[in-house]
Amino acid sequence: MFSLLQISGRCRKLEQITLGHGSGGRLTEQLIKNITELFPSGRKDPSVSDLEDCTFLSNDIAVTIDSFTVSPRIFPGGNIGKLAVCGSTNDLAVRGVRPEWLVMSVVIEEGMDMEEFNGYMESAAAVCRDLGVKLSAGDTKVVPRNSLDGLFITTCALGTADTPFYWGMNNIKPGDRIAVTRSIGAHGATIGAARYDLGSKTLSSDCAALWPAIKEITKDRSVRAMRDCTRGGLGTVLCEWAEGTDLGIEIEEKEIPISSEVISVCDVLGFDPLYLACEGCAAIVFDPEGEDRILSALARHKDCSEIKIIGEVVDEHKKMVGMKTDIGGMRVIDMPVAEMLPRIC
Amino acid sequence: MNHSSDSRSEKGSILVRAITRASSQNINLMEVCGTHTVSIFRHGLRTIIPENIKMISGPGCPVCVTDQGDIDAALELAEEDMVTMATYGDMLRVPGTSTSLADLKARGRDIRIITSASQCIEIAEKDPQKEIVFFSVGFETTAPATASMLLEAQKKGLENLSVISLHKRTPPVLETLASDPGIKIDGFILPGHVSVILGHDPYRSIPERYGIPSCITGFEPEDILSGIFSIVRQIEEGKPRLTSVYGRVVKKEGNIKAKELMAEVFEYCDARWRGIGEIKSSGLAIKEKYRKLDAQYKWNLKTKEVEPPAGCRCGDVLSGRITPPECPLFRTICTPSSPVGPCMVSSEGSCSAYYRFRGGAESWNR
Repeated sequence: MFSLLQISGRCRKLEQITLGHGSGGRLTEQLIKNITELFPSGRKDPSVSDLEDCTFLSNDIAVTIDSFTVSPRIFPGGNIGKLAVCGSTNDLAVRGVRPEWLVMSVVIEEGMDMEEFNGYMESAAAVCRDLGVKLSAGDTKVVPRNSLDGLFITTCALGTADTPFYWGMNNIKPGDRIAVTRSIGAHGATIGAARYDLGSKTLSSDCAALWPAIKEITKDRSVRAMRDCTRGGLGTVLCEWAEGTDLGIEIEEKEIPISSEVISVCDVLGFDPLYLACEGCAAIVFDPEGEDRILSALARHKDCSEIKIIGEVVDEHKKMVGMKTDIGGMRVIDMPVAEMLPRIC
Repeated sequence: MNHSSDSRSEKGSILVRAITRASSQNINLMEVCGTHTVSIFRHGLRTIIPENIKMISGPGCPVCVTDQGDIDAALELAEEDMVTMATYGDMLRVPGTSTSLADLKARGRDIRIITSASQCIEIAEKDPQKEIVFFSVGFETTAPATASMLLEAQKKGLENLSVISLHKRTPPVLETLASDPGIKIDGFILPGHVSVILGHDPYRSIPERYGIPSCITGFEPEDILSGIFSIVRQIEEGKPRLTSVYGRVVKKEGNIKAKELMAEVFEYCDARWRGIGEIKSSGLAIKEKYRKLDAQYKWNLKTKEVEPPAGCRCGDVLSGRITPPECPLFRTICTPSSPVGPCMVSSEGSCSAYYRFRGGAESWNR
């Protein structure tokens, strides 16, 4: 027999906010729940779930907010400035919302090189120019050295719905197809390679604004839902869909596009590519009737040229995601629970 | 996820057919290495091998077999103001009796995650005021890198670097499991990475003395299926021996240079394995010649005997006596976000693998 008191004491001791709470899996879910439970909801969203990438304030105005801190701040394929605008505008885009306004707050550590900082702002501004997004309000704070790691950028993006259909997981039905818009894991693998000094020359983040591609399909009735596969990667998005819809999801490993560079980084660090962050890759669910139209419209854009159907929504195995593996086995995909750490051997 | 997946599935079904045809009895096979455990789950191999073959996960995750007393001693040292502790990522969340490195890090202690032992030299040179302690665990796969780092540190005369060596040897634990009458193992899937270093010889006693078929196996799903097939054939023929299906990587003599490095720096010592207990000559201690770099002596570390957390059955899981879901804490009190025992912490621990992959086939269709 064991004493429950002893066990619960142990659990309490471990209950601090750790990096795992920021990794997008179960711990993040708990943290968000702790916060939202305390507040009155200002949501006008017909969607039943809290787990969409942005929320509607009125029938057509949607909003999202995201904070960005990344180490290193400059990485192959982008930097923290570009990431900050792509990240929040993508959260609007995947619900068929045209990004129009940006509100931005920057918290800067004393001592940051002015030229470096200006570079990030220029990158952020360039994405806004391309998207036609206006900077509407903002705030700057400079804090004493060592009180934060360099630079935090928080962006709040607002926009108007371009689709009449309220894309969201409550539309998903058995028989729907699931696709990813490009090869997965490029951002996470690039950051991982840089952080652990693996020196990959060919690897580059997928950091990109998705609106130019997505706006081509906003009038298509077949689109059910879309998610940006950021923190937690494709695996987390699929698990949230399965749990949120009370349906099952089946995917095929051999259909998932992934580059050999990403596979190599994962092999070295012991990461699972399904859970690696993407910053310019969306998962999309649609009625099979619209398959050809949707695939060909998105594939015309360079950031979605690798678009691929990876599986479908089913009525069985409710709340679960299964993957038919290359070798013919069946693997259950579960939510990641903590920060992915490089393994020992 | 690659272009060869059609041929992979073809190969897979041929191997599974061969195994199914060859295998006539109920058998328990132990995959010793944690990387095998994860690969078996990740590729869903339990869902395609015949039901009469039961796969048991063994003590091959270095984090999981590290004794709690040893972890407590390291955590105590990490609390020292001047100490920067470097370790492998998997160690971070392992709970000691009252805290973990992740907790200490969250409280502002200087804990660094490294991917290779040689990074300790850079950290020590960059920060001469700090005392760098490398909390080093792992089998014969990571021990040569620690040895080579120690040699370099000695050559450079680094005085602010020391190593807690909790490295462990694979062959003694295999013998312990093979000779335990309470554990029924009909075949060993031997660890590919360890064998790259050790070669074939250290395993020969397993089939010869204990009559247990053994096969050195790689980590791709085809490798593991080939390993299972080789063992099944040995069992059916009644001729246990040592085979290898990983010849493309493992040489019979192993990696001589790496073995020399280990022999130069380390000597065998008795070591405590979590849940299994003390195993003779199963640890690698730093030789007297390099004592200045041995944290055990430099910091006068005292390892206390610590009882594992109440109810935690990691020990029985590690020795294959029970599967993770048979532990009363599994999924109820012990989860990857709030782990009680180390098997739930490490990404390669059996409990974590069972949790993340929901036991594979067993829960599918439920």
